[in-house]
Amino acid sequence: MPKPSPAAGRLFVANRGEIALRAIRAAHALGMEAVLGVSVADKGSLGAAEADRTVVLGPAAARDSYLNAGLIVHAAVATGCTALHPGYGFLSERAELAELCAKEGVTFVGPSADSIRRVGDKLSARAMAKAAGVPMTSGSDAIDDVAHALRIAEQIGYPVITKASAGGGGRGMVVAHSPADLEREFDQAVTTAREAFGDGTLFIERYVQIARHIEVQVVGDGKGGVVHFGERDCSIQRRYQKMIEEAPGAILPEPVRRRLHQAAVTLLGSIGYKNAGTVEFLYDVEREEFFFMEVNARIQVEHPVSEAITGTDLIQTQIKLATGAIEGLNQADVSTKGHAIEARIIAEDPKRDFMPAPGRITRWAPPVGPGIRVDSAMQDGTLVPPYYDSMIAKLIVHGETRDAAVDLLIKALDSFVVEGIATNIPLLKFIAAHEDFRGNRINTRWLETVLLPAFRAQLG
Amino acid sequence: MSSISTQDIEAIVDQFQRGDWREMHLRIGDVELFLSKDGNARLPERGASAPIAPAAAIAAPVAVAPVASSGHGAAAPASAAPVGAVPPGWVQIRAPSLGTFYRAPKPGAPKFVEVGAAVTPESDLCLIEVMKLFTTLRSGVSGTVREVYVQDGELVEFDQPLFLIQPNA
Repeated sequence: MPKPSPAAGRLFVANRGEIALRAIRAAHALGMEAVLGVSVADKGSLGAAEADRTVVLGPAAARDSYLNAGLIVHAAVATGCTALHPGYGFLSERAELAELCAKEGVTFVGPSADSIRRVGDKLSARAMAKAAGVPMTSGSDAIDDVAHALRIAEQIGYPVITKASAGGGGRGMVVAHSPADLEREFDQAVTTAREAFGDGTLFIERYVQIARHIEVQVVGDGKGGVVHFGERDCSIQRRYQKMIEEAPGAILPEPVRRRLHQAAVTLLGSIGYKNAGTVEFLYDVEREEFFFMEVNARIQVEHPVSEAITGTDLIQTQIKLATGAIEGLNQADVSTKGHAIEARIIAEDPKRDFMPAPGRITRWAPPVGPGIRVDSAMQDGTLVPPYYDSMIAKLIVHGETRDAAVDLLIKALDSFVVEGIATNIPLLKFIAAHEDFRGNRINTRWLETVLLPAFRAQLG
Repeated sequence: MSSISTQDIEAIVDQFQRGDWREMHLRIGDVELFLSKDGNARLPERGASAPIAPAAAIAAPVAVAPVASSGHGAAAPASAAPVGAVPPGWVQIRAPSLGTFYRAPKPGAPKFVEVGAAVTPESDLCLIEVMKLFTTLRSGVSGTVREVYVQDGELVEFDQPLFLIQPNA
């Protein structure tokens, strides 16, 4: 590894946890220095220890530290940083941060503010996808009121799902199997969306009953050139939060896979997308059809499974593209090998209805071995603070086949030791050992409707 | 400053920051205040009325800490006075926010306080600037300034000690 020097530039890392550590290490690998902005709660973090300099942005509350774009960009400029990596979550998809960076002459490692806005609003993203000829579920534009919703639902056919135009994560989503369902739930969905995103605009789509969540990792050069790094299957979700992700999506017939990649590339190419992004699709298993869902204008939590099968460091690629160290990528240089699975290790107690379980980790012994990777900023004695997301690690396994990867996942989970706090590892083990998971017979509702009842039953 | 206090101005700035107004131009007696969310905005040309300190400060160029020279530790904090033990009863004034630390209301103006200066709770000690928005930090205690830990124009972090004050007995 080259010795970090200011000549190669200096990266400001505007995040925390494992992704902050990842960005710091990527900067160092590229010869850059790294400055980490932390909240008071993260002064003692592993990222703070590895960064060349750490600045305290503000108090523990994210609103006053990790979510304050002004503070972050001020700190980046004042510490002489030439580029800024936003990670995922926090401000990563706020156009405001990209814009402030541009204004202050700091290279934002991500898409342009304009792209973030265009894909961030779901209705505008849908229009974009439609224009690019990407398959969509039949759906509506903005819905005015419940009467309008009922008329649209009648045209589309039940079941339908409402979605918030301004954001995701399940808020504003209601599945209606009948007009009565829709009438009962619509106003509440508007209220939920307005409270969560400051905008209660909803639209309606046909609801696909047996669906897979399949997404395509892409990287754009900002000039219309877009390369994909294959797809991921992220169907194991609880309350729209992903828990296990795989690459490739083994369920896909090869012709569908090729069309899926092409759709993602065409869509982001059509707006001259720059840097890493993900196009999410719903895959209708019965009809073997996929439908556009949304674009995530950032690196995602689950990107390591794509790294595993393509042998590419996506974080370094992001930085190299943003800083101009490389001009673009070549699809011919991307090939995939084997099967990778990621399990999110979360500090929450599955025995107590997934209550967050912050606290001090008294023993941290992640699994090691060929084909096993753990991305984490935890150590013996780390305090998991109660203020932020409760994901504490990502376990990534890579095998020659899906079967081999599942075997490795079971083995790795068995030897993963975390003491001092509760984690979801017991649940992950239960999933990994389940015959539906082994047989790849799952869908986006499987965890909640099949697995969790069985898991609770064995808890007694 | 005549009919309007720094507290009043801070309250106005605060309201302005929270609201969706993009620009505000206010004149109260001989005080003229120009606020803008556009860093490049300038007070419209008009007579001889000199803008008061906060407006001047808003228009002041942002001091950018130099990119440190060389070596792995280059990004380490610039030399600040070491923060030693605090004698019992003395008070450390800490940064309420991350930002750039200014000891004077505008470039070239006399510093708010020097070591040895007597201060009251209302005394202004420094400005903290975040993205061209300036906050005045007051002493909060009566006493004597015994130490200034930070150099003018340096980045200070949240909660970083800035001044040491020996309160009046």
